[in-house]
Amino acid sequence: MRTGVIHDLGYQRYTGPRFGRGYAFRTLYSHTLRTSFGLGRGVKAKIFSWTIIGIITLVAVVLTDIGSQSSEPVMTSPMFVDNMATLTILLLAAVAPELTSRDQQTRVLGLYLARPMRREDYALARLAGAVTAIFLVLAGPVTLMFAGAALSTDKGASGVGDAAVDWLQGVAHSATHALVLGSISLLAAALIRRRAIAAAAVVAVFLVGLPAVGVAAELSGSQGATELVSMVAPVAALSYLDTWLYGGSDLDIVHGPWLLLYVVAVIAACTALLVIRYRKVPA
Amino acid sequence: MSVVGVLARITIRGLLGRRRFLLLLPLPLLLIAAATIGRISGVDPSRWADAVLSQVGFAVVLPLIAMIVGTGVLGSELEDGSAVTVLTTPVPRGTIVLTKLAVAIGVTTAATALPMFVAGVIVDSVRLGVGLAVGAFVGTVAYTTLFLALSVVSRRPVLIALGYLVIWEGTLVTVLSGVRWLSIRQFAVAVSDRVASTELVTGTLSSLYAVLATAVLAVAATTLAIDRLSAYSVRGETG
Amino acid sequence: MSAPTVPDTRPDAPARAVLEVRGVSRWFGNVVAVNDITMSIGTGVTGLLGPNGAGKTTLLHLMAGLLQPSRGEILLSDAPVWRNPAIYASLGLVVDREDTYGFLSARELVEATAALHKLPHPRAAADRAIAMVGLGSAADRRVATYSKGMRQRARVAAALVHDPAVLLLDEPFNGMDPRQRLDLMELLQRMGEAGRTVLFSSHILEEVEQVSQSIQVMVAGRLAASGDHRAIRRLMTQRPHEFRLASSDDRALGVALLRLESVTGVELEPPGLLVRTRDYGAFARALPPAARAAGVRLYQVLPADESLESVFSYLIEGGQ
Repeated sequence: MRTGVIHDLGYQRYTGPRFGRGYAFRTLYSHTLRTSFGLGRGVKAKIFSWTIIGIITLVAVVLTDIGSQSSEPVMTSPMFVDNMATLTILLLAAVAPELTSRDQQTRVLGLYLARPMRREDYALARLAGAVTAIFLVLAGPVTLMFAGAALSTDKGASGVGDAAVDWLQGVAHSATHALVLGSISLLAAALIRRRAIAAAAVVAVFLVGLPAVGVAAELSGSQGATELVSMVAPVAALSYLDTWLYGGSDLDIVHGPWLLLYVVAVIAACTALLVIRYRKVPA
Repeated sequence: MSVVGVLARITIRGLLGRRRFLLLLPLPLLLIAAATIGRISGVDPSRWADAVLSQVGFAVVLPLIAMIVGTGVLGSELEDGSAVTVLTTPVPRGTIVLTKLAVAIGVTTAATALPMFVAGVIVDSVRLGVGLAVGAFVGTVAYTTLFLALSVVSRRPVLIALGYLVIWEGTLVTVLSGVRWLSIRQFAVAVSDRVASTELVTGTLSSLYAVLATAVLAVAATTLAIDRLSAYSVRGETG
Repeated sequence: MSAPTVPDTRPDAPARAVLEVRGVSRWFGNVVAVNDITMSIGTGVTGLLGPNGAGKTTLLHLMAGLLQPSRGEILLSDAPVWRNPAIYASLGLVVDREDTYGFLSARELVEATAALHKLPHPRAAADRAIAMVGLGSAADRRVATYSKGMRQRARVAAALVHDPAVLLLDEPFNGMDPRQRLDLMELLQRMGEAGRTVLFSSHILEEVEQVSQSIQVMVAGRLAASGDHRAIRRLMTQRPHEFRLASSDDRALGVALLRLESVTGVELEPPGLLVRTRDYGAFARALPPAARAAGVRLYQVLPADESLESVFSYLIEGGQ
């Protein structure tokens, strides 16, 4: 009879350096980014995200083309970002449940937390990844538009300068959109375990308030009141904010500072609530 | 216990059991709240009824609830494999589809046509309420059969449904006017307009066309769903 | 827990329910999950053996009419299984991977299944099925609260509530504790003896060895072997058989055996001899005279590697 032996492969008693919290956070962040674009998975995971990205880019290309033929750009970059809000929401409706609901439903969250990752880290990494993804989806075409405008301008240096200013505003507004829409979407999706319902919830949250803005404009006739009501519909509020900060239309925004405060408050509140949600979710 | 009865009971409990039905409440309540606020404000309804009834009711509440119920009633069972319990019985696939469809339409109607009726009464009159309810019912039949067929045919029915709702019915309709002939939302609105006969809700299509189109869609979608369920192949993984 | 009783065989039950698989292939994109399999499953218990990823679950789904073959056909008592819900009156399926309605209790689940099968007394049939799998005490709790083994048993009960002639199970012993496993093995054995056709898949060799009369071995989508595992072993004449012998004089016996043509190797391995031979039959015939001629008494002649394990490994390694 031979005796049995269990071999010591060594990894259970590893005493060398280990990557810590920061590494775990960064890894989850980059993984979130990749999931948002469907990278590293099959074709089907990419279809939806990339179709939307394609449409947004296409619109940007078309606008650039039109803009290059006339001397005035059709719309400012921030306005472009506002107009793409519907598509952005659709993208978030597809992506946010994958980032939040799926881990909860399959109880994979516990696996993440068994590592040097805390619940807050998980929530914030997911949020950061999603926000970055949306930012790239919006800022990319904006940059494309800048390139097109700069190359085709016939006003020389000042033309390029104008285009650069517009580009900076577009990028800033892309970031604002990414932060606001991203934080709201992730919070909405994190509250619901089934992906289908989470997707519907993301869409509902943004669409439900919109009619109120139209009604307010109708009823009150006052710009100020409409702006205040627009706080029910983040997309509309962002549009007013854009006009206040960057101009581009004839509207005189009355409550600009309040809108700015609102945006900051929404981002902060949603982030905080997301963290709280993940503190309480059972792994 | 009849076969249909058993299927219906399982489906209802799966959909609504244990507080899950609470998820269906916020949207209709919001609709009624909006109508109430508008009424209390004392402003003439013609200035805000369209926003509340059409844009919140027909554009958001109806399609989203129909989507949640329509894709959930069969789709979620196909996705997690619990449909195999029913599929490995001799029950005809047509019976399965029709029973689940009936449950879905029933639940969605209760969650949409009823609140729409209430909203209509609040906004204006019983006639408006009835018109809205009928329109919502027509929309329910169209949406539910479409989404149920989608859940059998595709692995991600919700995304396709959202794409259809947001892009096709939402955006494209404003850009390309021909699209409205194929927009379920317009069917629902058209029928409401005809029944309620009011300026508070205006459709852009003939109500007769809307009803016929809904019937055609319902039959086609149901037939497709039954055929595809008869030839249902479990999602692939080697093992 | 007392042993549950076997239901009476229906008077009109077929004498032999045969599952015929003819040239069936199934691929998913580039991956061929099942590769040109032809097999015939008769009454009794058959084990479908293979490592993970061999395509066992796919084959079971194909047999149950839940997956369309990319090529070939599958017949149950001469009726095609695809697009034919009528076969489910004689077929039950339990797949480990698939969930069931967690919000129902086991009793409600089995009773509902019985009603869907249009059984005349669904409540009685359900009670019998639940007793058969030994779920009696927990049958009224929601399935979602069950442990994995109990959930499996609930699904088995639902699959045999209508007394099917054919029962297909995919890794049924997964998640069961030893006692539950024994009970289920006994149940399957009794069903096989009563004339049912039971096919279950597993990658655990002891389970298959203990319960099934014949095995089908699948490796990488192909059917590598069918039949009795000992008979399969004997067919593999290329790999030397090994025997352990114990005798009154091992060295003398070893010398004598080396003279035999059928013997390829002899090893002194206390407390006996390890003999390798290419020809099972010839060696078996030649051993007794050789031993007698050498004046050695044989105490033990044991085939050393007839276990399913060695058959299995041999097949997996592709005969290396």
